[in-house]
Amino acid sequence: MKKKPDDVFIYPGTWINEDARDFVATVEDWARKEIISKRLEYQKEYKKLFHEKRKKLLFDIGLDKIILPEEYNGFGWNTPERAPDLFSIFTEIGKADACVGFLAAVKYACFALVSMEPDIDKKLLDDLVPTYFAEDPKDVAIILPGPGIMGKETPLFKARSIMANVKSTKAGNTIEGKDLRPTGGGADAELFCVVCADKGKEACIGFVPADAEGVKKGAPIKETGLDACTNADVSFDKVKVPSSYLVKRKAAVQELYVWLNLLFGSTSLGAAMNFYEILYDWADTRTIKGGGRLKENPLCASVLADVAREISMARISGLGLAHIMAQSGERGGIGSPGVYTFAQMIGSSMQKSALSALNRGMELMGSAGYSKEWHVEKHWRDIKTIQAYLSGVGSDIPVKMDIARFFYDTEEV
Amino acid sequence: MNSFEDFSRPEEYVSPGIKYFRMVLRDLIEKEVMPVRKEFDEDWEEHKLIEPLFDKIMGNKGLGTQKSLFPEEVGGWGLGHSDYLGGFAYAMAEEVGRADTGFAVAYLVTLWPLLTILVEPYVNWRLAREFAPMFCNSDKAVFAAMCMTEPQGGADIENLELLKGKTIRTTARLEGDEWVINGHKLWPTNTGGVADLMAVPCTTNPGSDNPDDYALIFVPADTKGVTQGRPYEKAGMAADKNGDIWFEDVRVPSWYRAHGPGTDAKVFMKFVIPLGNVGSMGMLVGAMLNLYERLYEFVSTRTYNNRPLKENDAIAGLIGKIAGDIDVCRIIGHEAAMIIDRRNKPYGKPLDSAEVIGKTRSMKKFIADTAVEDFGLAMDVLGVYGVDREWDIEKHWRDIKMIQLWMGGKQLCQMEAARYFYNCETL
Repeated sequence: MKKKPDDVFIYPGTWINEDARDFVATVEDWARKEIISKRLEYQKEYKKLFHEKRKKLLFDIGLDKIILPEEYNGFGWNTPERAPDLFSIFTEIGKADACVGFLAAVKYACFALVSMEPDIDKKLLDDLVPTYFAEDPKDVAIILPGPGIMGKETPLFKARSIMANVKSTKAGNTIEGKDLRPTGGGADAELFCVVCADKGKEACIGFVPADAEGVKKGAPIKETGLDACTNADVSFDKVKVPSSYLVKRKAAVQELYVWLNLLFGSTSLGAAMNFYEILYDWADTRTIKGGGRLKENPLCASVLADVAREISMARISGLGLAHIMAQSGERGGIGSPGVYTFAQMIGSSMQKSALSALNRGMELMGSAGYSKEWHVEKHWRDIKTIQAYLSGVGSDIPVKMDIARFFYDTEEV
Repeated sequence: MNSFEDFSRPEEYVSPGIKYFRMVLRDLIEKEVMPVRKEFDEDWEEHKLIEPLFDKIMGNKGLGTQKSLFPEEVGGWGLGHSDYLGGFAYAMAEEVGRADTGFAVAYLVTLWPLLTILVEPYVNWRLAREFAPMFCNSDKAVFAAMCMTEPQGGADIENLELLKGKTIRTTARLEGDEWVINGHKLWPTNTGGVADLMAVPCTTNPGSDNPDDYALIFVPADTKGVTQGRPYEKAGMAADKNGDIWFEDVRVPSWYRAHGPGTDAKVFMKFVIPLGNVGSMGMLVGAMLNLYERLYEFVSTRTYNNRPLKENDAIAGLIGKIAGDIDVCRIIGHEAAMIIDRRNKPYGKPLDSAEVIGKTRSMKKFIADTAVEDFGLAMDVLGVYGVDREWDIEKHWRDIKMIQLWMGGKQLCQMEAARYFYNCETL
């Protein structure tokens, strides 16, 4: 294609910190050289190559520790001001492989809770960093509030059921929950970040090592996309964790959602932007009605326009969210009602836009859009999977209720 | 509402024979296909699990549906002579599509090319007798393929109304009493090594837009010069194999042409496009009926705000929309089938008319778009469980996208509708 996606999907580039641009370029280079240009090879041995390429990104390039404070050998990007930088990096990762972005997003969102200024939790970082940032990918999975089960009244986080609970004593915390569905690669996760309800039915977050006694993983689940990441339900049978492993800070769960919305959104955006490149070449080289180029047909051009519009809007709104997060100190922090609401609103809208771009564009590619050879269907399945995880339950209704609470002071929904 | 069967359909359109057939087919599908359909994806290349299931529906020791179009005189059911052809096709598609649309298309596409030689008044008795033993006497499933798409332009072959075959590059040359075929086709259902018989749209005069030069020629898959590639790996539709086919100096008897100059194009337009649309609609509605079943279970057993999902007004708004869509789509699907079955009535329309093609194309587009939207929405209602194959909805979501894309895709449907409804002349 003649144009670089960054040149056409215009965005406020000044919101990206100057010193982050080289790193974003390095990740883009990794995406192009290691994955995008080797897609056919990559498809044949997906899981093996996925692991190798991901390791290169996480450790050779250093993405794994990017949000850790410098004293933990991180990049020191542990402030909300880095949100636009992280947004750009995850967009580049998403162009290559949404599953890499998805797993990294889950880990970042969890560790943002304890590594981001002004809430750095040194004790917990001292405990967790040596184990979970070692020289081999260590994955994290999150148990978010979601659907409840009939006949079982649960504590709620903004009407979503909290399915795990924690009992705190001086000796530590005991976490319990049965058949919980993680967000992330639950089957391979070595650490769980669990939204649970305390005695007062308030939501808090517990960190649970997967090898703790009483943690039991279920059978691998067959899912729509994110093929290299295997999920499995997990149960916690009176799992004991140290008292420091519980984050009870007000609005910590909101913070988790804010980071997930930003990072999942940028990952899906990246996948959609890579699809744009594929679609550009397709529409440029394929013919319709026996000769004319596809992109020169007015009906096809209108579909192409829809695709570009969805991606453009998603990128601008996503970066807008990152900018709001960067300035969240003025609004009461990352977990404040305004930032939380905008994150939910923009995050769900970005997923819809990215998926809509794929759905519309595939219409022009016919069977090729559906064949694994073109990599389009993979982006399509991956985005849908991320969207479903972010939705949690009830489509976008819980997010709409969040929006109504913020904008209209709705109290009973 | 008691079950998915309570979604509306014009009861007077459904013959007693169709009702009985549905009952038998549903029983078989429930017993044989439903319990194992979750494993189809892993079986996409080998079909070790899938193939025996086809035998049970299509082969003689099973229901024997592969012989349904053949005249009774040659061992078939005589469906090609029936006034309820459209209704039967729709019923088969809906019943099997409820379990798995990939399975449904592989099975129904076997009948698709045979429509051109077995339906009144275009029965080609010589070919009917010649091919009958292959389909009517076999205990195993026997497959046919309609090899339309070519590498240079996917939708152009299907766009016969406008292009009249002038973009077809697969050639057929008559030498003595044999056709010599050369060309390359992509993506037909039941290729990738599955089909035993292929119908191949060819041109006898490359670049010509004279319908007389459009030839539909049957080619047994084991004919010398036919090469089938390995099946493509796809997003879904695992029970349907697709691949490349090359025809290199393939020789078949001259009487393997469906009918002859002019008539081949006519029967293609009459049967392949409208019945392809009806079958597509049946599969989509079948999948939507199953969506309702699975969604009903989820929203009745899972909660939001500690109440059943379905009792939340906002979520009820979403699932109410989905149910309403299914109700409307099912009525439309039956109406489309009836358009086929009115063809010989005084008030019926010729199947190759712009009206029938435009209307069935736009009906198929409407149902496909609605299904794609509703399956996506339902997955979101299930949230973290929406992408779990255990709930079946994600598999249908992957599968039915293909139905939206095939047969020239959505945009061709829009063009056909515009041509008819607005008398467009140059589209």
